[in-house]
Amino acid sequence: MRRARVIEPWLREPLERFLGETGARLALLMTPAGQVLAQYGFVRAVDVMAAAALGAGIAASTGELARMLEERSFRALNHQSPRHGIFLAQFDSPRGALLALVVYGPDSSIGLVQLFFEELVGDLAQAAPPASRDAPALAADFERDLNGSLATLFR
Amino acid sequence: MTAHLVRILDRVTRVRGVRGAMLVAAEDGLVIAESLMEGVRGNALAALAAALAGRLGRAAAATGVGSATFVHLEAARGALLLVPAGQGVLLVTITDAGVNLGLARLEMLRAVAEVA
Amino acid sequence: MSLVNFTTREITCKIVYYGPGRSGKTTNLQYIYGRVPEERRGRMVSLATQTDRTLFFDFLPLELGSISGFATRFQLYTVPGQVYYNATRKLVLQGADGVVFVGDSQARQLDENLESLQNLQANLLEHGIDVREVPYVLQYNKQDLPRDLILTPQELDDQLNFRAVPSYGAAAVTGQGVFETLRAVSERVLRKLSEGAPA
Repeated sequence: MRRARVIEPWLREPLERFLGETGARLALLMTPAGQVLAQYGFVRAVDVMAAAALGAGIAASTGELARMLEERSFRALNHQSPRHGIFLAQFDSPRGALLALVVYGPDSSIGLVQLFFEELVGDLAQAAPPASRDAPALAADFERDLNGSLATLFR
Repeated sequence: MTAHLVRILDRVTRVRGVRGAMLVAAEDGLVIAESLMEGVRGNALAALAAALAGRLGRAAAATGVGSATFVHLEAARGALLLVPAGQGVLLVTITDAGVNLGLARLEMLRAVAEVA
Repeated sequence: MSLVNFTTREITCKIVYYGPGRSGKTTNLQYIYGRVPEERRGRMVSLATQTDRTLFFDFLPLELGSISGFATRFQLYTVPGQVYYNATRKLVLQGADGVVFVGDSQARQLDENLESLQNLQANLLEHGIDVREVPYVLQYNKQDLPRDLILTPQELDDQLNFRAVPSYGAAAVTGQGVFETLRAVSERVLRKLSEGAPA
């Protein structure tokens, strides 16, 4: 199995466990602003950027829709096409709110993805080291860290 | 409609030793209807059973013996039984070790006939 | 593309505020929202990051009133300026009837302005919109900054105004130039619409 690419080491094991169980084709873990913390399955940096930006946009849109309807924000979205499913979910982590974007094929299912997503959230909560004083938990200077992140994700 | 399906499942769960039965959407691994005892994780069971059924179905097809009609997974403390109900639906039953397997199978096949 | 409903006699046009990150696109809309009477505008929707940078778009619907017997509405959108968000920027640009390019007047942002202009052209092309035909105005924002940090509107015209379209110096944060820009692009959009309308 190809390895996931991660910005911080603690993300690797929980994510790879999730990928192994679900057989997902593509996965992104990112901040609500679309900054990617880990990716699996993408070949090109531009595809990661586009998927992350679009995923973050969708999450922001449905969050706003929920607010307008005076609902708590949606936890997860699932889009189904004949060959693939796209699962987008928000969750809390010790590093703040995060988004997961998962693409799966016919050899997996929304049931499996949902099931192991809950485990992923738990695993990430356990695995996260305490945020150090020096390193920002989620970088404020987006552009600078972006290039560094992209380099890591595609080394 | 779900109440009707649950009534069908109750026929299976009435068999002594059966801890639960569910109808699962095979492609999605999601619960359609369930009749489960305490402690059985329905969502997990649905997702994993559907995945298993999918794999076994492909294996059966590859061996040329035709599609699976009844799956029996025997484990240390019980069993998992699967019967495809047609139209992408799966009947999943979870049992204790001492269950009358023949009876459980019979009721499952009858239930599937009613669902179709 | 403008939506013209001859039955209900309504026109809806989409205007997109484009430009590099932090040039003042959202500020333009916020100023308009703050000044237009409530009965002439809808809710402003802003999909932004925690640090208030546009993530997907800002959206502000405006009622212009009756023009030639048609109830005329404008939908103002901004796009996220950072290079990273090109995929979403492209989506928001779809169906634009008019574009306001909000440039940052700071001398050190000239390259960003140029890059964003090129990006605009490329994205319009992908949507099959002819950049020479689309109603388009330029705004040179942040003219309120110290003189030694910024270029004058004339200097910016030389660098950025390839098509000699109307351009306006502005300081969106105070409102200077905001309505002039909006009026100019609205006029161009509606004129184009009436030119294309069946006789």
